[in-house]
Amino acid sequence: MSWKAACPVSDVKQDTLKECTIDGIEILLANVGDGFRAYPPVCPHMEQYLEGSGICANNVMTCDRHLWQWDMKTGEPLGPAEKPLLIYQTKEVNGQIMVFLDEELEYDFDDDDD
Amino acid sequence: MLIEIKKKSQTYQFEANAGEKLLYAGLRAGIPLPFECATGTCGSCKARVTQGEVDEGWSEAPGKERFKVVKREILMCQCSAQSDCSLTVPTKIVAFRDDDINPDHHIGVITQYEKLTEDVLRFNVEIPTSISFHAGQFFVLQAPEVNGFRAYSMVNYSPGTNELEFIIKQNPHGGLSKWIFDSDRTQEKLELFGPLGHATFHPDESHDLFMIAGGSGIAGLMSILEYGRQVNYFKNRKVSLFFGIRTPADFFFAERLRAVKAKFPDTVSINIAFSNAPPTAEQLSGNDGLIYLQGMVHEHALPAVLEGGGNVMHYLAGPAPMVDALIRPLILNSKIPVHRVRYDKFS
Ligand SMILES: Cc1cc2nc3c(=O)[nH]c(=O)nc-3n(C[C@H](O)[C@H](O)[C@H](O)COP(=O)(O)OP(=O)(O)OC[C@H]3O[C@@H](n4cnc5c(N)ncnc54)[C@H](O)[C@@H]3O)c2cc1C
Ligand code: FES
Ligand code: FES
Repeated sequence: MSWKAACPVSDVKQDTLKECTIDGIEILLANVGDGFRAYPPVCPHMEQYLEGSGICANNVMTCDRHLWQWDMKTGEPLGPAEKPLLIYQTKEVNGQIMVFLDEELEYDFDDDDD
Repeated sequence: MLIEIKKKSQTYQFEANAGEKLLYAGLRAGIPLPFECATGTCGSCKARVTQGEVDEGWSEAPGKERFKVVKREILMCQCSAQSDCSLTVPTKIVAFRDDDINPDHHIGVITQYEKLTEDVLRFNVEIPTSISFHAGQFFVLQAPEVNGFRAYSMVNYSPGTNELEFIIKQNPHGGLSKWIFDSDRTQEKLELFGPLGHATFHPDESHDLFMIAGGSGIAGLMSILEYGRQVNYFKNRKVSLFFGIRTPADFFFAERLRAVKAKFPDTVSINIAFSNAPPTAEQLSGNDGLIYLQGMVHEHALPAVLEGGGNVMHYLAGPAPMVDALIRPLILNSKIPVHRVRYDKFS
């Protein structure tokens, strides 16, 4: 449970996504203009890897598989998306993006009763 | 063999035969398991085996990219059971439409076999039982000497029919396409499973239609046009079709497209885009009612997409790179609401 360095700030350009693995945990980094966000690497719909399927524009991410969308700053679902993106805490230290890794965040796919 | 999928709210159970793909067994039993291609390329039918033994089938399936062996992740469309099994499925299990038709296994016979162009073939398959399908759906087919099922969209539309009409584009290195192009396959038997797929047309939805096809992607859109023609849908509703092919010599279904245009001249717009050659003088004369263009189909189609989408349903079908190249600008630039886009990637 601690802050871990993910990658240099300059590696994550706005409207792009970058995946990295820290202590065996895969995370997805995004640049939202005034800061960074770190999410689990997969889409909460059907576990597609968002580094490949995510389209980012104006801080909205769209998964090109079934077009779920989220507000990248808050992770809140937009349009047809039914679940938010989970978000790890991040901060910048000496040009590095730091991610607070307590435990791996994973989506619960077991709730199909709603 | 009994297959069990546990969700918090419900446990789904179905029987799978020896060698039967788990996806097909579940769908056949009416359980709306997740899938897209049904043929190993997309990864949508991912599941985890929590109990039991399975045969994973096609080991190089592209859909398995990044699958975790330790979590016993499988593709349900490739995998068959070797014992009773318990699975978890990492997505909701929800029906797409109430009137979805349960798919099933069939043995069919090729009854018609016709070359439409140098590298496109039309063939009909007759099955012993009469079935219905939604316009825009597909079947998966397996030929005698070729491993694995391939997906093909129906070109025809007819509620309650024994006849399925398909087109196939030649792929010189492809298994099924090589088999079928090698010689006249009339009277050959095929295994089929279907109908499948969600990029469908339903007149009760009352949309205008905007359709873009690359090459053989026209198949399912022909079925949609045919259904629309049968029920006079285009009397009140508009349809714009953009069909991309390489050259005038690659153009097929001209007669059928002209017939739709002739029946509904005011509401139907059919645009043929040639990527590698200009239209002929005769085509440019406009005599046949169709519009002929030179250039990539998406370059012509995108500017024609109505800003904001209006009450329009968009259908995209064809090679995966074309569909991917269209989805991005459609959603980002044209601001089409995402539920107004239906697509099939021919991967
Ligand atoms: C929804 C959908 C609809 C389609 N509709 C059409 C259509 O109407 N007309 C058309 O021409 N094409 C269509 N396609 C593409 C078509 O399914 C085939 O991919 C294409 O014809 C090439 O097949 P091939 O056997 O010649 O090539 P190959 O490269 O031999 O095989 C292509 C596909 O066959 C499967 N496959 C290959 N090897 C194996 C194996 N060992 N075990 C199991 N599976 C295997 C895989 O799905 C692979 O992607 C569609 C695809 C999809 C997903
Ligand atoms: S997998 Fe991302 S929207 Fe379906
Ligand atoms: S549905 Fe199984 S890989 Fe596409």
